[in-house]
Amino acid sequence: MECATAETLCFHCGSPLPHEAALAVQVGGRLHAVCCGGCAAATNLIVAQHLERFYDFRSAPTRPADAAARNWCIFDRETALRRYTHQRPDGERELSLQIEGLSCSACAWLIENSLGQEPGVTHVLVNASAARAELRFDPQRVALSRVLGKIQALGYVPLPLAFSAGASAGATERRAALKRLAVAGFGMMQVMTFSVSLYAGVMQGMAPELKQFLRFVSLIVATPVVLYAAQPFFVSAWHSLRARSPGMDVPVALSIGAAYVWSVTSTLRGHGAVYYDSVVMFTFFLLLGRFVEMSLRHRQGMQHDAIARLLPESALRLEGARAERVTPDELHSGDRVRVLPGERVPADGRIETGSSELDESLLTGESAPRLRNRGDALIAGSLNLSGVVEMSVTRIGQDSTLAEVSRLLERAHASRPEVADLADRVAAWFVGGVLFLAAGVAVYWWQVDPARAFPTVLAVLVVTCPCALSLATPAALAAATTALARAGLLVTRGRALERLAGADRILFDKTGTLTRGEPRLAETRVLSTRLSANRCLEVAAALESCSGHPLARAFTSFVPASGVSDVRTAPGRGVEGMVDGVRYRIGRAEYVLEGCAAGSPLAPAATEQGHTSIVLGDRIGILAAFRVTDLLRSDARETLKQIQSLGITPQIVSGDHRGAVAAAARQLGDIFADAGMTASAKLSLVQSLQSQGQRVVMVGDGVNDAPVLAAADVSVAIASGTDLAKVNADVILLGQRLSGLVYGVESSRRMLRIIRQNLAWAVLYNVTAVPLAASGWIEPWMAALGMSASSLLVVLNAARLLKVCPRSAAPEHQPVERAIHA
Amino acid sequence: MNIIYLLIPLGLVLLALSVWAFFWAVRSGQFDDLDSPGTQILLDDDRAPPVVHSAESRDA
Repeated sequence: MECATAETLCFHCGSPLPHEAALAVQVGGRLHAVCCGGCAAATNLIVAQHLERFYDFRSAPTRPADAAARNWCIFDRETALRRYTHQRPDGERELSLQIEGLSCSACAWLIENSLGQEPGVTHVLVNASAARAELRFDPQRVALSRVLGKIQALGYVPLPLAFSAGASAGATERRAALKRLAVAGFGMMQVMTFSVSLYAGVMQGMAPELKQFLRFVSLIVATPVVLYAAQPFFVSAWHSLRARSPGMDVPVALSIGAAYVWSVTSTLRGHGAVYYDSVVMFTFFLLLGRFVEMSLRHRQGMQHDAIARLLPESALRLEGARAERVTPDELHSGDRVRVLPGERVPADGRIETGSSELDESLLTGESAPRLRNRGDALIAGSLNLSGVVEMSVTRIGQDSTLAEVSRLLERAHASRPEVADLADRVAAWFVGGVLFLAAGVAVYWWQVDPARAFPTVLAVLVVTCPCALSLATPAALAAATTALARAGLLVTRGRALERLAGADRILFDKTGTLTRGEPRLAETRVLSTRLSANRCLEVAAALESCSGHPLARAFTSFVPASGVSDVRTAPGRGVEGMVDGVRYRIGRAEYVLEGCAAGSPLAPAATEQGHTSIVLGDRIGILAAFRVTDLLRSDARETLKQIQSLGITPQIVSGDHRGAVAAAARQLGDIFADAGMTASAKLSLVQSLQSQGQRVVMVGDGVNDAPVLAAADVSVAIASGTDLAKVNADVILLGQRLSGLVYGVESSRRMLRIIRQNLAWAVLYNVTAVPLAASGWIEPWMAALGMSASSLLVVLNAARLLKVCPRSAAPEHQPVERAIHA
Repeated sequence: MNIIYLLIPLGLVLLALSVWAFFWAVRSGQFDDLDSPGTQILLDDDRAPPVVHSAESRDA
């Protein structure tokens, strides 16, 4: 079908279209091009339900729909229902879902309305900012698998969360913070009124009993502010003191506590100064700054239920000869489970038969695959890379290593840039210095003018609060991460951003990174008489179905031969396995030849421009050569040009044949390229560049990149890549757009600039304010105001990072035809 | 000025009431999502949901 408009971006997800746009959908009487079958299906489903207004209202990119149907039937089982849902008295069941890909309120509307049309679904509530859905349905009338399948068909990934009565940790934190903020805010308004009256009373004269009355009322209002709203500061100060590294909350707690106690004593004694106004104002503005920072942090959109993400949806349990799919929590110690390549291990266990390479990087941080043989231990959540293994389960649930893993993951997400650590270390010293200074000021003023001693010390403590210093970085980081997530870049590690800003060289893998990663078979040449062309394709399809390499997808349209066993992949080189009792190898020519008997005829796998050859062979010799084409991404050339204009050197490192790589490099504007690189060659290239002092970014996709991705200063993966690359990458590019990388570099540089501005401001402010406070020029309430203003200024400066519109990312939220330039 | 001895405690009662009301609103989840409800009213469709089950019952 020909497309009616000259569109270059997918109507549904905004990804660049393949060069030959073959798919079109009809929306509102017009034809629009879409990039893939998944997006076409999602669009058609939306149109069929008369929900096409979604496209007018969305304000953030939709992610490409996943064409691969997943098996949700596992969630219809009674055990799964018990774990994920909660039965209401009327027989309906309710559950919470985390929804991946939910980017704006139009998505929420789409899901609510689409599911609302489903008979049997009685209640849907989608929370766009938390990417969560609350669902109520009648299990008699609709199967849960159907509901989940429908969400997926719309282009989102539903992730059922184990049922718990309470809200998520983030929501709880937010609610608590809001309550404290409200108490402090209401309290501040009241106390301020009384204070103004008291100040006026000092100037105009006020009856002493009225003055005392106002002080008592202030005391009543300020007490919940100090005891409830300011509680986090006291708790945090206590913890940091016990850890012997005084944090920024120590002077805060000290000044709030001391000012409050002093004021209470004055009130009860009936004379002396009171500082209720300073106390409540200080508390409120501090809480406000923290609240803004927390909101920025929560919007990072990375709060998946860690355990749900790590465990596979289902496990293949073996009972005698029968294999049955069950949810991981149905497993018991002693069960036998089969783990296929590409699957995650569902529980801790021991290998009974088979051997395979496993990626345990989530546990060990070691990204190189580990070979595990019979009798070796397997850890739940690790990823099976090459062979089929059967294991017996040893530990499940709470006993398993999984609790540890989820802690690790949380820590990875909480990891902050080095600048932030530095700021915290400086803050610790700073706090020590401030306390020392305050003591000095106290001693000095005690001798000069005892009446002025307390307010001056209080002013020093308040004015020097290093909040601005400590908020400067996390706020900027959270804001930048949020802005990037909106543009389709997920930052999974905080340190990645500042390293991205200082990148000197970006290495690109070719297949699946610069190219679309959807290889197609262009030509099959049979090079022996032992197998027919069809049989060659069957064998190739069977072996490649076990491989995670992007090129393997060229064979997915062929019917694989049955009877495959003992499959092992050599990352970056090929796959070896038995098909009907014969051992075959498929992959790069050298690898296949290694498996042949000596002296076998070398069939020169001619490689032409832009094509890659895959060779199939057995023990005797080469059987066939397949020529595979893979098209360059349409934004690859532009992206590389922009990267060069940012002063970064792009370089192609590919495991592919020289001819294919050179052709790609030429098309991309004469980029420096290395061809025929194995994973270890790429690794040593990265290390040698690093030893020359360069900061290396590795953009990759695929199994053979994992160690390289881990070795690079920053690793970037394209979201369509294999699960493995996702797990290891610091930055994930969604939406199939390479250009997001340019935006990523630009924003990370902008972020560093804003962090520096913030830090410079914090230092400047303290340098000016401290001498003024110590010399008694500043009243405590002025100090509270100045300090709060300084903190807010820093946070709001960071929030500027949210507003910048991606220059290089496509404005997908507009209907596509408007985004097309002539 | 004696009225102040009545008005200020009255104000405190109002303060307590408003804090309680705010707590109730937070507890009942009204502050959990501040983005969607605002646009919801623009998006809501008055048309009755069409009967399209034949089209979607075969989706994969």
